[in-house]
Amino acid sequence: MKIERAWGWPVALELFLTGLGGGIMIVSAAADLFFGADNLFLPGSFAATVLVAIGSGLLIFELGRPFQFHRVFSREKAVMTVGAYMLSLLIGVSFVYGTFMFSFLPWHPLEGLRQLVAVIGLLLSMSVVIYTGVLPASMKARPFWHGPALPVLFMVSAISIGIAVQYLLVQALASGNEAAVAEGLLSAANIVLITVGLIVLFIYVLTMRVSAAPPAAEAANAWLKGRQKLAFWVGLVGIGMIVPLVLYAVGITITCILASAGVLIGGIVLRFLIIYSGDRTPLPGEAEFLAKLPRGDEEFLRAWEGAGP
Amino acid sequence: MSRWAMVIDLRRCIGCHSCTVACQVGNELPLGMFWNMVTTVGPNGRYPTLGYYHIPRPCFHCDDPPCVSCCPTGASSQRADGIVLVDQDKCIGCKACITACPYGARTLNPDLGTVQKCTFCEHLIGENKEPYCVSACHQRARIFGDLDDTGSEVYRLVHEENALQIMPEVGTDPHCYYIFPHRGRT
Repeated sequence: MKIERAWGWPVALELFLTGLGGGIMIVSAAADLFFGADNLFLPGSFAATVLVAIGSGLLIFELGRPFQFHRVFSREKAVMTVGAYMLSLLIGVSFVYGTFMFSFLPWHPLEGLRQLVAVIGLLLSMSVVIYTGVLPASMKARPFWHGPALPVLFMVSAISIGIAVQYLLVQALASGNEAAVAEGLLSAANIVLITVGLIVLFIYVLTMRVSAAPPAAEAANAWLKGRQKLAFWVGLVGIGMIVPLVLYAVGITITCILASAGVLIGGIVLRFLIIYSGDRTPLPGEAEFLAKLPRGDEEFLRAWEGAGP
Repeated sequence: MSRWAMVIDLRRCIGCHSCTVACQVGNELPLGMFWNMVTTVGPNGRYPTLGYYHIPRPCFHCDDPPCVSCCPTGASSQRADGIVLVDQDKCIGCKACITACPYGARTLNPDLGTVQKCTFCEHLIGENKEPYCVSACHQRARIFGDLDDTGSEVYRLVHEENALQIMPEVGTDPHCYYIFPHRGRT
């Protein structure tokens, strides 16, 4: 048995879904505030509601005592408590913001209110995507996570996957001149973000590779040339970044759709790679001790105990 | 005020795992759960000067416990006497503290869904007794006491002997000190 890894796939998926929801909301609100993009990006706001809700639900499902989840709101000094508040608020704000697209609702024409909700949504979703990186980065026991890199990396990645989903939504739901302009802007924006993401990613991995903490150096080496090299080079760098970069640059509708799909795959792979790489430094002799423990016979022993006199 | 701490003299520890057993029996831990463990380092060196030693590891009851600062429910808390405890009623099993602990002192109890750890046997300290692991150590390798009491044995060992913390670079200020065999540590 190896050093325990308390967080597994539900947390990785949660980081992806909440990051994605946050990224989508960032694009919706920013497009509204800075480009006056009317109703074009409002369906995405509902997508953000659903994705963040599913992600938060996964986090509850992952708890040891899911029905006690409300206690997560108890301690405002803890990173996770702050995150829980922000995720809950984002679910509400993104839903309210989305309702501005329906003309039958009385608040539909209130432009000022809509802008206000957009500002709140933008600040909140930026905080959420940064939080998804701060949560692992705050763990000083895990040298590969600890430090300023993950919040930056997750923020860039979240905006990038948010743009990808918004591109797909605009492609599916809208048509006309405005949609075409939006698609062009989204592609261009994602070219910039993927480039920034590549730079941040390689600064992170190459710095960790020469880290003084052995688990961080081992994890970086596992990405670059070890047991995770396929996931890293093919899944994340290839399908998730380089290929989309080229496809967005080509700029035809079909290549941009494929590019957006690739960016999403890269976003998932990135978060799984991170969560499955956060080992702590073992104590002297600990790995050998754990390797000697009998495992897998718990069920038999329990049955044996139950059958006894 | 008291500040509970433990000094473990690795020159005396023979790696018999009695402390682990005493802890598991006394605290009635479920199968496969360790609040204390004993690792073995070595054999190191070259013939004929080979050597190895054992490191018992309880919870270090750090002065700056990362498991407490990351807890979103307030279940993990530190008492004024330094002991870090998990309130089983408040814990929701989010495992943030397991992720935060640099020493692997915390485990999830799969039956309860809560995180549990070494308590320094606070129920025994309250009765003026020693923790199970200390009273079970027939080699007297474990010395438990009050670090605020300048006349105590732990105070003397920490301040006059070469008692070291494990992985102090993480910045948690563990309150379990080790006297290593040889000089310094490997």
